[in-house]
Amino acid sequence: MNLLRSEWTKLRSVRGTWIAAVSTVASAAVLGVLGISDLLGGSPADLPDGWDPTATSLRGFLFAQLIIGMLGALSVTPEYGTGMIGTSLVFVPARSRLLAAKATVVAAVALVVGLVTTVLSFGVVQVVLIGASLPAAGPGDPGVVRALVAGTLYLTLIGLLGVAVGSLTRSTTASLAALVGALLLVPALGPGLPGALGDLFARYWPVTAGQAAYAVVPVDGVAPGLGLGLLALAAAGTGAASHVALRVRDI
Amino acid sequence: MPANRSRSRETPAVGIRAHRLTKRYGTRVAVDQLSFTAQPGVVTGFLGPNGAGKSTTMRMLLGLTTPTAGTITIGGRHITDLDDPPRTVGALLDARAVHPHRTASDHLLAFAQTMGLRRERVDEVLDLVGLTHAAGRRAGEFSLGMNQRLGIATALLGDPGVLVLDEPLNGLDPEGIRWIRTLMRDLAGEGRTVLFSSHLMSEMELTADNLVVVGQGRLIAEAALDDFVRANTTQAVTVRAVSPAELARALDRVGISYTPGPASSFVVTGADTATVGKIAAAEGIVLDELTRVRESLEDVFLRLTHDVTEYEGHAA
Repeated sequence: MNLLRSEWTKLRSVRGTWIAAVSTVASAAVLGVLGISDLLGGSPADLPDGWDPTATSLRGFLFAQLIIGMLGALSVTPEYGTGMIGTSLVFVPARSRLLAAKATVVAAVALVVGLVTTVLSFGVVQVVLIGASLPAAGPGDPGVVRALVAGTLYLTLIGLLGVAVGSLTRSTTASLAALVGALLLVPALGPGLPGALGDLFARYWPVTAGQAAYAVVPVDGVAPGLGLGLLALAAAGTGAASHVALRVRDI
Repeated sequence: MPANRSRSRETPAVGIRAHRLTKRYGTRVAVDQLSFTAQPGVVTGFLGPNGAGKSTTMRMLLGLTTPTAGTITIGGRHITDLDDPPRTVGALLDARAVHPHRTASDHLLAFAQTMGLRRERVDEVLDLVGLTHAAGRRAGEFSLGMNQRLGIATALLGDPGVLVLDEPLNGLDPEGIRWIRTLMRDLAGEGRTVLFSSHLMSEMELTADNLVVVGQGRLIAEAALDDFVRANTTQAVTVRAVSPAELARALDRVGISYTPGPASSFVVTGADTATVGKIAAAEGIVLDELTRVRESLEDVFLRLTHDVTEYEGHAA
């Protein structure tokens, strides 16, 4: 408990955390609205097949996930950038405990930020859709609550992935590069690979699979549970790697 | 052993012991079979030129760097085996190792909380290092001197019996230097083990009781400061007569060698002041000056580390 309190103090006492939290929420909502702006003024008949107002409202995650991932990375990387990690480990020589405390605190923060982001994006976009007389989703509709929970967990897992990436790379810029690659480039380019490899990336790349979890209308991907499971597995695997690296490497 | 006068808790006094400590980076040997001890109740100065392996040794002591061979322990135990590490050992590694956007008091609070301590302890150490007025300011706005004070405050948070300070006097103004010197002497006076490093002999003179001198990762000397000075400095005598020519003849007669010094004085290395004074008295020579001069500690240090200095400047 002492360690969690300490890591929370570290996280809350730098403005970068708050900027990242607010940016995650705001960017997801704004991009969600921008994403449907070309539909406004049209009629329901113009909507694409398999119209999913819930998944559509969460399309801003594409960018917001990068910020919440960096929020996780920034819980670790400035300690290496400044050298403060040395002091932290004098107070807590058990390195596993320090990493676990960081991950727990980031998970809690990311869960709250993820929930606010998901609910706000969903709510704002549905209000705009209703205002434009387009079919919208409500929390009572089948599958909507499940999708919103999945969206919240998705962002939380990306925050945790950020902690692991930050701890592995020990560098803010390297973390950003790694997250852009894993969250944006691979999902965009991987499916273009020839044959089975392309299919594999299109369905099972953990980030892509995780995104399938917050759709209400089934997409051509994996089931929601498996999607989040794959992402959790990837985050856990990266976390395990960063744990081993932290224990083995000199500071 | 000095009494624990003002230690707030009863903790057994523990020392630091390095035993054949070695760290290699590839083929480069940073620390080479280094053995030394730092005792409770005294200030131990860890002296060596830049690149001698002082910081690496301290980082191995603190468990941040793994030794290639050998051990370095606090009270006989590796830091990860201590029951309560932050209450046993406090460290200042790099004064600039603070998040520039975090306030001094939040920086300290985060570390205090690892021990279940609260703001009151943060306020105490801020007061102790004279930073109360800057508690709410971001560490990025601090001068190097203020950062050193913040680093000392961090090291003192757990009221530890062992203090490890890497270059604590670096970049300080005279007032700051005097403050840290007094503090280190007081902390040792309370029965704590104080190990501090420096690459400047002059920083040792008024502070350290014992010296551990290293060069290229190897132990050059381990001794009480006074013994070290006595063993390594050559005594010389500066003598100046009203009539230098007469004095020169007298010295020549008894076969004492001398070299000409400033202002028609002579520097005599083969005899002490009494001998030179007797020679002059016997000849009825009137002396203007008769002084014992000591080779400066800086000179001794440079001479001792000359052979092992890694980065030696070459005069253009």
